[in-house]
Amino acid sequence: MQDAAIITEKLTRKFGALTAVDGMDLRVASGQFFGFLGPNGAGKSTTIKMLTGLLTPTSGRMQLLGIDFAEKPVEVKRQIGVVPEGMGLFERLTGAEYLTFVGRMYGLDKLTTKQRSEELLDFMQLGDRPKTMIADYSHGMQKKLALAAAVIHGPRILFLDEPFEGVDALAAGALKALLARMTERGATIFLTSHVLEIVERLCSHVAIIDKGMLVAQGSLVELRAGVPGAEGRTTTLEEIFLSIVGQGGAERPNVEELSWLM
Amino acid sequence: MADVARLPTLPEQIRLVAGLRWRILRNGLKTKARVWDLIGLVISSIVGVVFVGSLSIVFFSVTMAFLRVHREARLGLLFWGIFLWWQVLPIFVAGFSPSFSFRSLLRFPMSFPAFYLIGIAYGLADSAAMASIVWLFTMTVAVAIVNISLLPAMILACALFVAANVTLERLVGSWVEKILSKRRAREVFLALFVMLMVSLQFLNPILQKYGRSARPEVEKVGRYSELFPASLPGKILAGSGANDFSAVGLGTAGLAGYALFFGGLLLARYRTQYRGEELSETVAPKRISAKRVTERRDGGGPEIRFLPVAVTVMLKKEIRYVLRNGFASMTLLFPPMLVFLFSLQFGGAHPTVSNRPLSPDLFFPAVMGYVVLALIAPSYNVFAFEGRGMQTYFMLPVKFRDVLLGKNLMLAAILSTEILLCAIVLAWRGGLPSAPTLFATFAALVFSVVGQLALANWSSLSFPKKMEFGKMQGQRQSGMAVLIAFSAQIVFGVTCGLVLFAGRVAGNPWLPLAIFVFLAAAAVAGYVASLDPLTKVAEKKKEAILEILMK
Repeated sequence: MQDAAIITEKLTRKFGALTAVDGMDLRVASGQFFGFLGPNGAGKSTTIKMLTGLLTPTSGRMQLLGIDFAEKPVEVKRQIGVVPEGMGLFERLTGAEYLTFVGRMYGLDKLTTKQRSEELLDFMQLGDRPKTMIADYSHGMQKKLALAAAVIHGPRILFLDEPFEGVDALAAGALKALLARMTERGATIFLTSHVLEIVERLCSHVAIIDKGMLVAQGSLVELRAGVPGAEGRTTTLEEIFLSIVGQGGAERPNVEELSWLM
Repeated sequence: MADVARLPTLPEQIRLVAGLRWRILRNGLKTKARVWDLIGLVISSIVGVVFVGSLSIVFFSVTMAFLRVHREARLGLLFWGIFLWWQVLPIFVAGFSPSFSFRSLLRFPMSFPAFYLIGIAYGLADSAAMASIVWLFTMTVAVAIVNISLLPAMILACALFVAANVTLERLVGSWVEKILSKRRAREVFLALFVMLMVSLQFLNPILQKYGRSARPEVEKVGRYSELFPASLPGKILAGSGANDFSAVGLGTAGLAGYALFFGGLLLARYRTQYRGEELSETVAPKRISAKRVTERRDGGGPEIRFLPVAVTVMLKKEIRYVLRNGFASMTLLFPPMLVFLFSLQFGGAHPTVSNRPLSPDLFFPAVMGYVVLALIAPSYNVFAFEGRGMQTYFMLPVKFRDVLLGKNLMLAAILSTEILLCAIVLAWRGGLPSAPTLFATFAALVFSVVGQLALANWSSLSFPKKMEFGKMQGQRQSGMAVLIAFSAQIVFGVTCGLVLFAGRVAGNPWLPLAIFVFLAAAAVAGYVASLDPLTKVAEKKKEAILEILMK
């Protein structure tokens, strides 16, 4: 059995009376490209925030790469990279300055930081505006920079919250290739996205969260086995998702009600 | 095809927009959950009402006084005051935060006349305009009381004056909006405004020195002011009082001409907006170059060997942030400027305010206290400008003490530079104090600054409030942070004052230095000891901090 990169035990987070994440037992093996899915408000971002140290769990345990997060948060953070929901960029720095800041904070020496920054900026096609502040970047450019900052120290686990949102097709292709290469080299990628086609194409394993609880977890093959598709056709991730979360489409709004639109 | 029976009429569109503005205002008040915010809003509203009400009494009384001595033309002075208020205030109030809400109405199927009229209605709903109209009304009441025969001329003059002002204000506003849609321009504008306000302090010394000799030249230029719209209502009223109908006709034609001219220019400006003018902060897209970029990129700057890497990196980031905050970097010029001004008023050979110059032994510590007071306030909400970047501090493998240390060192560097500059100004203007006072003041500065930084760090983590670069409107600190800063400054200021006084009472000039060295050592020890507990506070409060700062 592969080593576990992420293990959570009874992970729970409450906001007053609302339980956003409820006793989650999650296991992600090293080297997996792991998709974390769920409808809006299901608890995806709360989970990713807890796993990256942006939110303290109400109860439960988290181990990343065998290290207990609560005991050694700095050691865990050294090993992970994050593209959070808000991207976390300092908008008054240029792209190169931000990467230098992050690289040095992760403990890289000056020369390595400089070299990696230049390579990443060129790879992300951000190198042609060395003097432009991040505040003046487009949303897609900011996303690419946030991803560059998340990988500059060569993390062993990469957390990505909607990484392709607002990124053009050309750049998205390059990013997917980069992520695939990272998993080939043993890194673990934990990704949330609402675009199920992207998750289906990239991820080998998937977990689905609904109303704060983990309702499915396994490889795509395992999940497909549980949801039989039409004869002679492979079940899509969208069908799996809808069958688990939407109970076969029962919760889908009835389009017929908006008849005046047609 | 959209299933729309008919477009709303012009009055319906105006009513809908008015309803929208009312709902925005009402919902805005609902979100003022914090008691301090609500108190601030109530206090500022009361102050506004008192201000407008007090000036209404002034306008009423002065109008009565002028009319009773048949000096109708002098009413032009009051119209000038209203004109300047109406035209200048909205530029600065609106200028610091771009508001595109009016332009956003363009996405709806709105006719151009409706767009134009709603634009003018927005102008009349502006606080500067409403105050001006209240003052004009009180002047009209005074006219009706003293000389009813002047009332038709007053009403005519006021109506044309309002028309000329509202169209001019909207015209200037739309150009200002266009210019200030760029962040850099907004910051420069704000900095110039503050510089202007500070420069006004120099008026008194300049007038005292050159006022008499410059008077004939000022009067010569003043004659041309009769051609401006603010002088014309006075001309109409003076003509009406003297039954000089040609003067009334000329004044009316002039004012109407101004209103039509500004209205025409505004029409052209709004038509450009109506056709879809782009105002955005986003940089125009450039073609991505295929070749590898070879320009020098950020190399990280020099290392500071005695500091941990994380602190050095933080310090460099802070330096960049200060240099890129046009307003913040310009405010660093103010302390030496103001110290120079104080030295003109209270120090040097010929002070303009006091009869005798203050002794350097009193003046030097007082000025240094002022420098600390002026520059340390932002450290009580030190994460205000981090925005979404605040997340990064909690994601990085660093202890929060390094973040705080980096930020505090930046402030210490700024304060040291400013203190040095101000000391040079003081030495030039009135000489340095005696050695015991000089060294005691420097020790007191260490005690006061370091002691306050420990408190300021706690305040920043406990009562953070988001602020934005280059904005003035709505840029308020948290009420508690202000209270803590205010209390701390009083306690440290009074303590320093008492220690200096103790030296005089004891007749030992070196006693304050000894006490301040002890207090400074205690403050440094307390500061160092506070860093680890503050790291825990940051961890404990990180959710609240991120929620507030990333809004």
